Amino acid sequence: STSSVLPAEKDEPTASTDSTAKVASKSQGSTAETPKQKLLDIIGGMKVEVSYRKKLQQLKAHEIKKRATNKLEDQDSEGSMLRKAKEDIQRGKPLNPELVEAASAVASSLPLNKKQTESELLAQLRRHEETTDKQKKGGIINIRNVISEMSIKRQSRAERGVRISSRISLEMDEDGQRIRPGRFAPQSFDSRSLKVGKRLNIFTKVSTETENALKTVSSPTIWDLEFAKEIAAITAQPPRNGFEEMIQWTKEGILWEFPVDNEAGMEDDAEFHEHIFLEKHLKDFPKQGPIRHFMELVICGLSKNPYLSVKQKVEHIEWFQKYFDEKKEFLQEI
Amino acid sequence: MAASVLGWALRAARQVLPSACTRQVRSYYVDWRMLRDVKRRKLAYEYADERLRINAIRKNTILPKELQEVADKEIAALPRDSCPVRIRNRCVLTSRPRGVKRRWRLSRIVFRHFADHAQMSGIQRAMW
Repeated sequence: STSSVLPAEKDEPTASTDSTAKVASKSQGSTAETPKQKLLDIIGGMKVEVSYRKKLQQLKAHEIKKRATNKLEDQDSEGSMLRKAKEDIQRGKPLNPELVEAASAVASSLPLNKKQTESELLAQLRRHEETTDKQKKGGIINIRNVISEMSIKRQSRAERGVRISSRISLEMDEDGQRIRPGRFAPQSFDSRSLKVGKRLNIFTKVSTETENALKTVSSPTIWDLEFAKEIAAITAQPPRNGFEEMIQWTKEGILWEFPVDNEAGMEDDAEFHEHIFLEKHLKDFPKQGPIRHFMELVICGLSKNPYLSVKQKVEHIEWFQKYFDEKKEFLQEI
Repeated sequence: MAASVLGWALRAARQVLPSACTRQVRSYYVDWRMLRDVKRRKLAYEYADERLRINAIRKNTILPKELQEVADKEIAALPRDSCPVRIRNRCVLTSRPRGVKRRWRLSRIVFRHFADHAQMSGIQRAMW
């Protein structure tokens, strides 16, 4: 039940911050805002043990309930606030019905499950009462003791000592290896899991783009190329049998790929009309005369040629064009 | 630094040891005539398109004769080894210029040698 309460409690501070803001806005105490905010900031920036943090959460919840009912005077520091909260705890019993009302009010103000939060707040109150009773019986009011005792998942000093000592076991086996204590680590992390809690935003995500850019900038040096060549030469073992030899030949291009592909190496993606209708390439030629006649014959022949690609045909026509352009002066003399 | 040293060591080792992939590598032609034939084939391949186009101008009746004479001079100015007529289909193994069967590119003597040793696929002694 405690573990189920734990995530709810984590939600509580975030929710309670909202509620504190709302309560502050509701109540007219503007002086109460700044110390509250200060407290919240401090709590947010603090790295504390879970038990201490829970204690603070509980104290905050107390504060909220108190402020819902009565107004506050000036409070400067967190210590004074804690002291005030401690006083509240001491006065827990007579405030009980009022606290219950305050708890219901707070729960109603929160955006989450109202009944659930209310029940959780009341459970917290009950725990507070128990601890205060213990304190009264003890007599000495020491915050440290209060905090240590108020942790939900308590490790008594004896148990803790046992655990630590069991981790570092000095007993030796027959082989001379230490007796391993067993898996204690996951148990100890139950109360404080890594991914729970407010983000501290200390580390920024390293952008992988810059890394990739840096890697591509440095081109391989000659030594790297040589080294790569050496490795390739050494790893290229002679073929063990005829099959491997044929594979090698196929890779090199000496041997065709079977079944034989008649159009291997021929990649003419042009349509038939590009092969046949080549008159569009004759735009720069004169319309009349023997040259035109000649070029039309050329085009006729090229359109009937299935062995050339469109690119080669166009190259032919362009060569003729260039040739006749060079010979233009000569032709005009004739 | 370490890479260069390693490379040098490997190169030295490679010179001492034989090359990894053992395959028949023809680094020498059978004789100089074969070499010249190879050069002619290469040049003929390079100038094939140009020769075709200039011949197309020369061998037609439509264009004026002056133009065709100019084309004659041009084709004569091309390197002599670029004409395909100078290529001789020699035997691939012996460089024999005569008695070469085109399908196998071998001279008759080599062909007979291989056929008798059953190294020619699908070849059998004729008997009818």
